[in-house]
Amino acid sequence: MEDGNIEDHSEEASQSESESEEDGDVRLTEPAKNSIYNREGLLDKLGDISWPENVGWIHKLSLDINQEQEVDVNDDLARELAFYTQALEGTRQAFEKFQSMGLPFLRPSDYYAEMVKTDSHMVKVKGRLLAEKKKIEEAEERRKAREAKRLSKEIQAQKLKERTKQKKDEIESVKKWRKQRQQSGFAGGERDVEMDLDFEDGKVFEKSDKKRPGVAPGDRSGGKAKRGPINRKKQQKREQRSSKFGSGGRKALKKQNSAETTNDLRGFNRADFTGNKKRKR
Amino acid sequence: MGKKRKQRETEVVAPPKKDMSAEERPKRTLLGWKDKSEEVGKESDSSGFRNKEKVLVTCSRRINFRYRHLMLNVVSLLPHCKKDNKVESKASKGATLNELVELKGGSSCLFFECRKHKDLYLWMVKCPNGPSVKFLVNAVHTMEELKLTGNHLSGSRPILTFSDNFDKDAHWKLLKEMIIQIFGVPKEHRKSKPYHDHVFVFSIVDDHIWFRNYQISVPHNEADKLPRGGLENMTLVEVGPRFCLNPIKIFGGSFGGPTLYENPFYISPNQIRALDKKKKAGKYAKKVKAKTRRKMHELSNQLEPDEFADMWKE
Repeated sequence: MEDGNIEDHSEEASQSESESEEDGDVRLTEPAKNSIYNREGLLDKLGDISWPENVGWIHKLSLDINQEQEVDVNDDLARELAFYTQALEGTRQAFEKFQSMGLPFLRPSDYYAEMVKTDSHMVKVKGRLLAEKKKIEEAEERRKAREAKRLSKEIQAQKLKERTKQKKDEIESVKKWRKQRQQSGFAGGERDVEMDLDFEDGKVFEKSDKKRPGVAPGDRSGGKAKRGPINRKKQQKREQRSSKFGSGGRKALKKQNSAETTNDLRGFNRADFTGNKKRKR
Repeated sequence: MGKKRKQRETEVVAPPKKDMSAEERPKRTLLGWKDKSEEVGKESDSSGFRNKEKVLVTCSRRINFRYRHLMLNVVSLLPHCKKDNKVESKASKGATLNELVELKGGSSCLFFECRKHKDLYLWMVKCPNGPSVKFLVNAVHTMEELKLTGNHLSGSRPILTFSDNFDKDAHWKLLKEMIIQIFGVPKEHRKSKPYHDHVFVFSIVDDHIWFRNYQISVPHNEADKLPRGGLENMTLVEVGPRFCLNPIKIFGGSFGGPTLYENPFYISPNQIRALDKKKKAGKYAKKVKAKTRRKMHELSNQLEPDEFADMWKE
């Protein structure tokens, strides 16, 4: 009960999840002993209020529909389905009765009259349906995009794997070939080197020497070993310069005179001073 | 002896009146003066029965907006009803409401009584001689809810469908008869429309009466040729409102009188709330109790001093 009431205060939009709560009413597990049940009185009253026996069906429009099986109250879907089938069965029977009586049943399509729900309300209903549809479509699209992304990632990974495998296979095959040659006894060292170079040029695992001019063919360090001493000299020079002039950072404060630098006359020549004096005199 | 006796009375009284009116002048109709002979012929043709049900629909003061909307929905579904002002809840005991119904010339009444802003009770009453039924209303959904997408003519006569367990017991039979009379729109009522495009469902599940209202919809182009293939394509769309009635008591009179039936399984929502509160109230006490019990337990079986306790201290 409590839940139902809370739901009542909340907005009507939250219907779907609250639906299962709403019928959580409590009841006694066993019937109360002292409850009144006056069957004669009830039947008497029924006789009092009921219409005469011979009243035509058309006055009542009531139909009894057989409920095939017990309906579980707490299963919303089953319950609603039971109601729906009851209504549907009722309409079918009613339709047949109307047919046999030759009376009009459904509203003809050109009969316009006031409806229970206003047009503005129906516009709202339609809007909600459309919005819901749109939401579903959007979600679907997002899902598809995600799927595609995942798929492309997988494909990419596969490709990379394949490439590395190919590379490995090639290296392997070269090694194998070399071994075979060694075992079978090769013709001459010179030719062998040539062949090797050929391979190294053509294959992926060594960069071509053409990009680094001035490197000897046999130099395995790629010319770096040769360049080493020159580099060191250059580096020393650079260090000196940067210790003198500074490297990086802000220079403005370093170049400014302070009290110490103004009093420091080391950089000046004595002779210059004397010379000046002489000139003044 | 509400309805029946009335008819007998009118039938008895009617003939002398007719004679008198014949002397004066015939009754006036829309088409002109009514012929006496025609009138007689008509009466015999409809076996003298005319449903003159008129329902007064009203509610108590301080009703919740949701329940008020439910009432308005019911009003829009019943063209033969008369809506009235809110009635003070305390004064609803019997006399005032009876007077009100009489004043309005109604033969039955639906009274929505809201208590504590949360519990809705529905009185379904036949006036003036009873019986009257008091229901607790649960699971209310109004017609304004957007997920109920159907729509139908206002004032078209509904088809009432009942699940067959209404014939199970005497009180259900009585309720069924009352529902037929109150919710069925009288034939040829002046506000009713001559077509039928909606169905009411009254179904007893779990000893509650569940109400649903469906629109009968047929694909547009097939509405004309319904006799042939339309029956299979018939679908229903829910219009609303939805509610669930839990019968509490049936009284012999209108708004009172001797109790004829009492729901043996019924617990009032107040009791339910009280139970809930009681459950919640016990929580703290239980906690404290558990704590003290734990303490006692620890005191009674103390741990032995650990022999390795100062092994690494030296």
